[in-house]
Amino acid sequence: MITTSAWVCLLSPLVACLAIALAGNRISRRGSGYLATGAVALSFAAAVVAFVGLLGEQPDERSHLSTAWTWLGGGSYHSGLSVLVDPLSVFMMLVVSGVGSLIVAYSLGYMDGDDEERRFFAYMALFVFSMLLLVQGGNLLLLLAGWGMVGLSSYLLIGFNQRRPQAIAAAKKAFVMNAFGDATMVLALFLLVQHTGTLDFAATFERAQGLASNHWVVNLVALGLLGGAVAKSAQLPLQTWLPDAMEGPTPVSALIHAATMVTAGVYLIVRAHPLFELAPTVEDLAAGLGAATILLAGLIALVQTDVKRVIAYSTMSQIGYMFLGAGLGSYANGMFHLLTHAFFKALLFLAAGLVIHALAGEQDMRRMGGLRRLMPRTWLAFLVGALALVGVPPFSGFFSKDSILAAALDHGTYGYVLWAAGLGGALLTGLYTFRMLFLVFGGEPSPFVREHHHAHEGKEGPLSMTATVAVLAVLATVGGWIQLAGVWTPVSDWLFPVAEPLVEATGRQEAISSVLAVGLGLLGAAIAWWIYAARRGRVPRLRAVRTLLERKFYFDEAYDLVFYWPAAAISRAWGSLVEGPLVGGAGAGLGQATRGAGRLTARAQTGLLRSYALAIAASLAVLAVVFISVR
Amino acid sequence: MPGPTVTWYLAVSVVLFATGVLGVLLRRSPLIVLLSLEIMLNGANLALIAFSRYQGRGDGQIFALSVMAVAASEVVVGLGLIVALARRKVALDVDKLTTLRG
Repeated sequence: MITTSAWVCLLSPLVACLAIALAGNRISRRGSGYLATGAVALSFAAAVVAFVGLLGEQPDERSHLSTAWTWLGGGSYHSGLSVLVDPLSVFMMLVVSGVGSLIVAYSLGYMDGDDEERRFFAYMALFVFSMLLLVQGGNLLLLLAGWGMVGLSSYLLIGFNQRRPQAIAAAKKAFVMNAFGDATMVLALFLLVQHTGTLDFAATFERAQGLASNHWVVNLVALGLLGGAVAKSAQLPLQTWLPDAMEGPTPVSALIHAATMVTAGVYLIVRAHPLFELAPTVEDLAAGLGAATILLAGLIALVQTDVKRVIAYSTMSQIGYMFLGAGLGSYANGMFHLLTHAFFKALLFLAAGLVIHALAGEQDMRRMGGLRRLMPRTWLAFLVGALALVGVPPFSGFFSKDSILAAALDHGTYGYVLWAAGLGGALLTGLYTFRMLFLVFGGEPSPFVREHHHAHEGKEGPLSMTATVAVLAVLATVGGWIQLAGVWTPVSDWLFPVAEPLVEATGRQEAISSVLAVGLGLLGAAIAWWIYAARRGRVPRLRAVRTLLERKFYFDEAYDLVFYWPAAAISRAWGSLVEGPLVGGAGAGLGQATRGAGRLTARAQTGLLRSYALAIAASLAVLAVVFISVR
Repeated sequence: MPGPTVTWYLAVSVVLFATGVLGVLLRRSPLIVLLSLEIMLNGANLALIAFSRYQGRGDGQIFALSVMAVAASEVVVGLGLIVALARRKVALDVDKLTTLRG
């Protein structure tokens, strides 16, 4: 029952994707949307069935591996096509298919009238399938397959608008960055196969225990897996693709680049935590990268003008918190933040999508303003999302974020540094979130808004869009209530059999972190209000800092300088110095020589029969003389 | 009664062959060239048969028979070509038939 529903959950989006792709014009554009939505909703229903099934079992028996057939085999190595149903994978299945079905339903309204709705929904279904394969795969190889396929569907969806060169460039950038992460992950898996002989989760983790802690093999494996996680989750130093990925349609940003795919790195760390625990240095590195990303992304978000990019940087920053939690060994808190983040970040994206939809595709916040009066319900939804993001109680972000910070306090001196970074991030979160809120919704309607906002009487968007935003607003409000650190911990208990936490914050640490984080978040919001709503203060004029932030700390330029330009220069040099003369020249020279020789011999061919005959006779005579005289 | 020795037969064969060669080289009408070719072949045939008799073995005669068969088919093709040329009113002169010049 449990494994059957897991297979249904996994395969139903794939069937929908293939059906839409193969049916072509035989189903209507709307029909393809309904098909995709229905398939993902079916996945969600199946995930719920699996969840309920697991609930009915003893906590330490909640793990089922179902193998369809042996997928790959070579020598003593075998890898099955199998799904694993345990608390962690069911948790992810619920998030992916639940938030996924809401966002696909939202796309019904958002993509309505697009020429290529069918392609869009086929890609969306493909993405949901890939993501489910990633979280359900019963061994690291299937996880890697899902890992690559979410990269592919992310590429397809970012570049969905094929006529926009920026979208194509962004898609390529995302793909290349992710391929880098895939490569390090593959190397890690090679090492694992070499030293443990298998990639099945349970077996490989168990055999890896045989290697000493901090052994170079374990360190390299953990580092390779971390490389994959960092690339997929857009953390330092592979973060530059995510803001550009906002070229994709807004539902794509909400589903892939906020709620699900980018959190796959956190899932990977939690899933492979036995390996990471053997390599404490790499774990600390993961937490440190997360903390650095929190601050860096929060700072860059302060100066962005594109509403979707602000949310994208906020996503990077929030995933930084999850990495912080997962790297510290506070797995359940990281996963809990993943859940609440999926709710409120999807909400923010979809609400922003309503605004963009109403303003005929405009995303520049400087041209917005005063939308509160025109779109009051969207404003409310956005406000809920913003409060949840900043972590104001009783909204969901409060419950999940502060536990991560508290966990940092239980990690020695290094933990204090991480804790301080997380608190700084909380201040920045309040600042950029409310800056965005006030710029978009506050004040008087700008001339641009008055011109472009179509006055739908009392209507802020199609039903499929407003209804999903409403559902997400409710979830972003109450979604955090399923866990309050120290008092009521169903999430931690649920995940305990899979990922036992390494750190346990005391009640005092929880309280200090909560008070400080909420206080700093509200302080940030107040500063934003002071500057952008009340307009009593001004943004400090620090030109150098401003340029630094606007150029995103020069990461793109640095990568161009370090990787792109040398590679391009080497390629050009090889092209002009080696390939041109040697490869091209050899071919051309051979052709030229053949043609020259042909032209020479062609001259002997006069077409005069009698000269041919004479030549034959003369040579025969010569031959005859030679034969006779030599003998 | 002993006939002439093999030398005489070879001499006649050489004369025939040389006549043929000269005909092929000097004449311009394709018909005559073909005819001269036949003379060359027959010169060769004569030599083959002469050697066959001289050595008392039958191989040469079998060679001569196959040469005749080849010659017959060659004449069929060659004459066919010449008739086709004549019907298309092309000048029957091998020095002017140079379309296949390189």
